[in-house]
Amino acid sequence: MIYEPSPAGPDAVSGLVGAGRSAGVRAALLRRRSRFGDGAYGALRWTGAGLFGAVVLGLLIAIASDSSLAFQHGGLGFVWSGTWNPAADQYGAGILVVGTLITTGVAMVLMVPIGLGTAIFLSELAPRWIAGPLATLIGLLAAVPSIVVGLWGLLVLTPVFANQVEPFLASVPFFGWLFRGEAYGPSILLASAVLAVMTLPTMVALSRTAFAAVPVADREAAMALGATRWQVVRRAVFPAARAGVSAAATLSVGRALGESIAVAMVIGNRPAIPESLTTPGATLGSAIVNQFAEASPGIGTSSIIALGAVLLLLTVAVNAGGQALLRRGSGAHPGTAGALR
Amino acid sequence: MRAHGFKHSTAGPVTKALSLRVAGPVAVLAISVAAAACGSTSATPTATGGGAAATATPASANLLGAKYDTATASSVTLTGAGANSIEPFFESVFYQYSQKNSNTTVNYSPAGSSVGVTDIQQGTVQFGDSEIPMTASQLSAATGGAILQIPVDLGGVAISYNVPGVSKSLDFDGPTLAGIFDGSITNWDDPAIAALNSGVTLPNLAIKAVHRADASGPGYDLDQYLIDTAPAWVAAIGTSTPSRTWPEANVGIGEQLNTGVASYISQSSSAGAIGFVEYGYALQNGFVNAAVKNSAGSYVAPSEASIAAAGAQATSLSATDFNVVNETGAGTYPIANFSWTLVYQKQSDTATGIALGKLFDWVVTTGQGDAAALGYAPLPANVASLAHSTILELESSAGTPLFAS
Repeated sequence: MIYEPSPAGPDAVSGLVGAGRSAGVRAALLRRRSRFGDGAYGALRWTGAGLFGAVVLGLLIAIASDSSLAFQHGGLGFVWSGTWNPAADQYGAGILVVGTLITTGVAMVLMVPIGLGTAIFLSELAPRWIAGPLATLIGLLAAVPSIVVGLWGLLVLTPVFANQVEPFLASVPFFGWLFRGEAYGPSILLASAVLAVMTLPTMVALSRTAFAAVPVADREAAMALGATRWQVVRRAVFPAARAGVSAAATLSVGRALGESIAVAMVIGNRPAIPESLTTPGATLGSAIVNQFAEASPGIGTSSIIALGAVLLLLTVAVNAGGQALLRRGSGAHPGTAGALR
Repeated sequence: MRAHGFKHSTAGPVTKALSLRVAGPVAVLAISVAAAACGSTSATPTATGGGAAATATPASANLLGAKYDTATASSVTLTGAGANSIEPFFESVFYQYSQKNSNTTVNYSPAGSSVGVTDIQQGTVQFGDSEIPMTASQLSAATGGAILQIPVDLGGVAISYNVPGVSKSLDFDGPTLAGIFDGSITNWDDPAIAALNSGVTLPNLAIKAVHRADASGPGYDLDQYLIDTAPAWVAAIGTSTPSRTWPEANVGIGEQLNTGVASYISQSSSAGAIGFVEYGYALQNGFVNAAVKNSAGSYVAPSEASIAAAGAQATSLSATDFNVVNETGAGTYPIANFSWTLVYQKQSDTATGIALGKLFDWVVTTGQGDAAALGYAPLPANVASLAHSTILELESSAGTPLFAS
């Protein structure tokens, strides 16, 4: 032991180094310092990982224990039982699961084509001076708090949907039955539109990154073979970026499933089997938002927490399903060269 | 948090409310004159002029004031949470009190009645507020001992609607309202509505019924009124016990808090909408409100006088006998209720206890002068003295009364 690590920190140590010590001592100091840094970094790393794991574990335990009363009461039937009526102490998540899946599904149908198109435009077609500012703008959209998006849906979109969009859709021949019923404004369709806006930035930003990661050589190879611009995107860029695009879609689905405040503000909060897409509905998240604060103690509170458990399981299932699809898809995909044949 | 965010975020009707605030005092003034100026802001006690508004409110200085000056020596912060319906009233009286007594700061979070109950049970706030008094089982779950329940305001639940071309106050009885809210009446030109409103041309327009998506005091009161007056409603919901969570959630749409319902009704795209909100919010938004059939058979619209008339019937009011729905009297508005502030009887911190007592003693006396302009009615004299005697029960943790009577 030549030198004890200085309690005053690295500055004092480097002061000593600067005071004309021999090269050997300097090396020993550096070694000692880096070993100390490694130790600190290791401890930090393990603490961080441990803390994170503990939080997730604590969350799971809390949800499981607080929702146990509801599952004891209704059994697994809680998940698919169709009546949600806290006023009569009837708790079943079935309707809310259906509402959640429909709103998320419709939101993805609306959002994915637009998001993908925007990402392709930004990475493949747009000149740099448009792509940069446009990407920043879309990034800003991601920073808008959900209550603000909900408010925009409530105050701006609701009148438009009630007066124009919903009556128009109901009048479209053949598809009109999907949108029949009274045009309230707040509806499953409006909630889906709001969710589409909220998930768009995730989809665009991640897909754009995936497209940008495709090597220029792939594009040049495709062009050299005489591919048009569209063929380059379709046959060379998209297959290579498919994993990233799928990840973007999966993340978007996760966000849409769990969104609560904005949905509660625009969906109309009616826990019934929807007659059409323009009738009011309810989701797991919106029911939690509306009823948690005033749930009756005991079975009421426990049932709301059980909704959280169902939502968690649903999100995990969707993510796992997405990843499974992805693995199967990437195994089968023929590769860039094959696609150009 | 949710409640607050939403409240501030529904800024839409604010512009509308602003223009109405100008008209508001004029209308209220007219009512005050009719009711012999019992709601005027002057501190002089005024006699009531009889008629429906036979509710003398001692507008004198606060009752504790003779012995305890309102000014608190050291600074105290009082935190409360609870009913959303009382928010316009609390916001105003707490502001005025802090102007007079800069040492007392009051924070109130209007997250809902049950939040008020839960928070006081857990002792996370100094006072809670609920539109419905706490039940025996809720009281026994309190962690800090006995809870005092102080009646602090008298409000009504307005049935507000948005029907273009109909500016008159429409008449409704229990069975018709029940039909609207259980989905059996779906159009404004329905014979049941037309029969009650001869001479009014009702449009062929679909009804959009709006109810509260969260549990609420106004929902409880309307549920109670419909249970009292409409057998079909009891059959539809399958119980005769009123519920804070709206029992017919599958008819029409649900919106969060009074602000959410009011915002939906006020939108021009919501033609045909009908819903229920605390009268204070209906007044802010300038809604046309229904005249509702009372137990004497007359149709009465909500107003300071008609809500006061309901409160005047509460001669034996207590935390267990709190129902003032469907009260007797020709001028009585049938959907009224008192709001209750919840405090622990034993106050571990004497300064806080004294500040709480002084604040609410001021609220139930001088503070009532604001009630009329905001859509509430001043507390009747017997209720104000019930509030006062309840406040006198505040004790230190050792059990000595904080205020000698």
